[in-house]
Amino acid sequence: MRVAVRPVPGEAGIAGLAGWRAALKHRLFTRRNALRLLSLAVVGSVWEAWGRGNPFFASYPTAIMEASARIFFPEVLPAFVTTVTALFVGIAIATPIGLAVGFAMGRIRLADVALTPYVNAIYATPRIALIPILVLWLGIDFNLRITIVALGAVFPIIVNTYAGAKHVDPELLDIGRAFMASPRQALWSIVLPSSLPYFFAGFRIGLGRGVSGVIVAEMTAALTGIGRILISHAKYLQTAELFVGIVLLGLFSLVLMDAVTRVQRRMTPWANWEQAR
Amino acid sequence: MLEMLDVNKAFPTSGGKVLDGFNLTVDEGEFVSLIGPSGCGKTTALRIVAGLLPPSSGLVFVNGKASLSPSREKAIVFQHFNLFPWRNALDNVAYGLEMQGVKKADRLRIAREYLDLMGLSASEKQFPAQLSGGMRQRIGIARALAIAPKVLLMDEPFGALDALTREYLQGELARICEERRLTTLFVTHSIDEAIYLSDRVVVMGVQPGRVIAEFKISLPKPRGAYNFRAEPAYATVREEIWQLLETQIVRAEKVAS
Repeated sequence: MRVAVRPVPGEAGIAGLAGWRAALKHRLFTRRNALRLLSLAVVGSVWEAWGRGNPFFASYPTAIMEASARIFFPEVLPAFVTTVTALFVGIAIATPIGLAVGFAMGRIRLADVALTPYVNAIYATPRIALIPILVLWLGIDFNLRITIVALGAVFPIIVNTYAGAKHVDPELLDIGRAFMASPRQALWSIVLPSSLPYFFAGFRIGLGRGVSGVIVAEMTAALTGIGRILISHAKYLQTAELFVGIVLLGLFSLVLMDAVTRVQRRMTPWANWEQAR
Repeated sequence: MLEMLDVNKAFPTSGGKVLDGFNLTVDEGEFVSLIGPSGCGKTTALRIVAGLLPPSSGLVFVNGKASLSPSREKAIVFQHFNLFPWRNALDNVAYGLEMQGVKKADRLRIAREYLDLMGLSASEKQFPAQLSGGMRQRIGIARALAIAPKVLLMDEPFGALDALTREYLQGELARICEERRLTTLFVTHSIDEAIYLSDRVVVMGVQPGRVIAEFKISLPKPRGAYNFRAEPAYATVREEIWQLLETQIVRAEKVAS
């Protein structure tokens, strides 16, 4: 029997393009979004009015838009690409190392005892204090930034993965033993999934530290990148140009964190349900 | 057949003996309940049988073979379900088979059979957090049955459920154990539950934990089919068990204070 399908918002898949459009409309034109738009307009107007009176101090939205039209493609975008590349390479190095070390420390007593003091000490040391010595070792090359990012990101990943691997519910491990899981099977079927939410918590912190680390590194010791651009425009009191970099970084971090949240929900859906209960 | 021979267990930290000269036999196809006050060591006894805890001395036999570690002949159901929150109902049931290396198609087919047996076919894709306590424990039971164990071990499996769900699942369990002639060791706090389900009720004493009495329950099965609580035999055995347990509870309280 055929049943007529009406386009339902949220069930766009079955309803085709028209339904998809309707669903999008339904989602975009909400009272919530209208309020947000209104709030943005109010804040923007106040800033504009105030900033026109103090262009060097605060700048203002239209000046920032004008500046970004001028410098975005020739100057900001290439710098941004360098920064983001350093960030991603650093994170790509930190993630497997953080996972491996965190698991080793969480599941192997020797690794726990031997490594915990170092991890705690380096985690507690402000990374900015390491920049001069790293400059000495690595120069002010691309490697410096990658190292700063990796150093910033790896420790929160280690510490959280460690906590996750160490605090696996012993009753679940009993289930593994009772159903004859080998140590290897227990690792993959119990320890790994149960640590995954912890890992994500650490990864999120690590990513945030990676972003701030790469910017700080560029500000203090680099010839390129968004951090460098911020410094050079600040030097010449080019406030509007300065804001182009700031807004871009803000938007980028927002998108990045949202992406992490999406991946996390996808990979550990149970973590959200457990919290919701 | 399951046998525990002169099992002793002492924990080095607490000092006292938890189990002292513990002997128990569960015959092929028999349902035996282990009942006793809190702290009498009944859960310890069950964990030793399951191979999750080594005894200080003594032996456990399954069908005449020594069995002091987990094996595929023994399956356990816990009070707090202990399902994997990241596995859906079907994959939870298939867990034991997966660990045994059974091929995916085969283990899912078998897991479906047991989900179906527990009346949960419609929920196979759901995760534990989306299911009620009663449904979760039915998955726990299905997971244990799916490996086709010779001995089923249950540690207060209905203790965390509300009274109505509990009564319903008791009926389900009685039906399944009867149909499949499962050899079952069942730990419980409830005299009523023990009588409803068991061929034999074993009463444990405290300090140290040991068997102090056994009661054969001769009420005809299936007991869900008639009002067994109205039978005079029920009232008699219930009272006898209670009298015995009461003395032990008084003892336990005295030792504690």
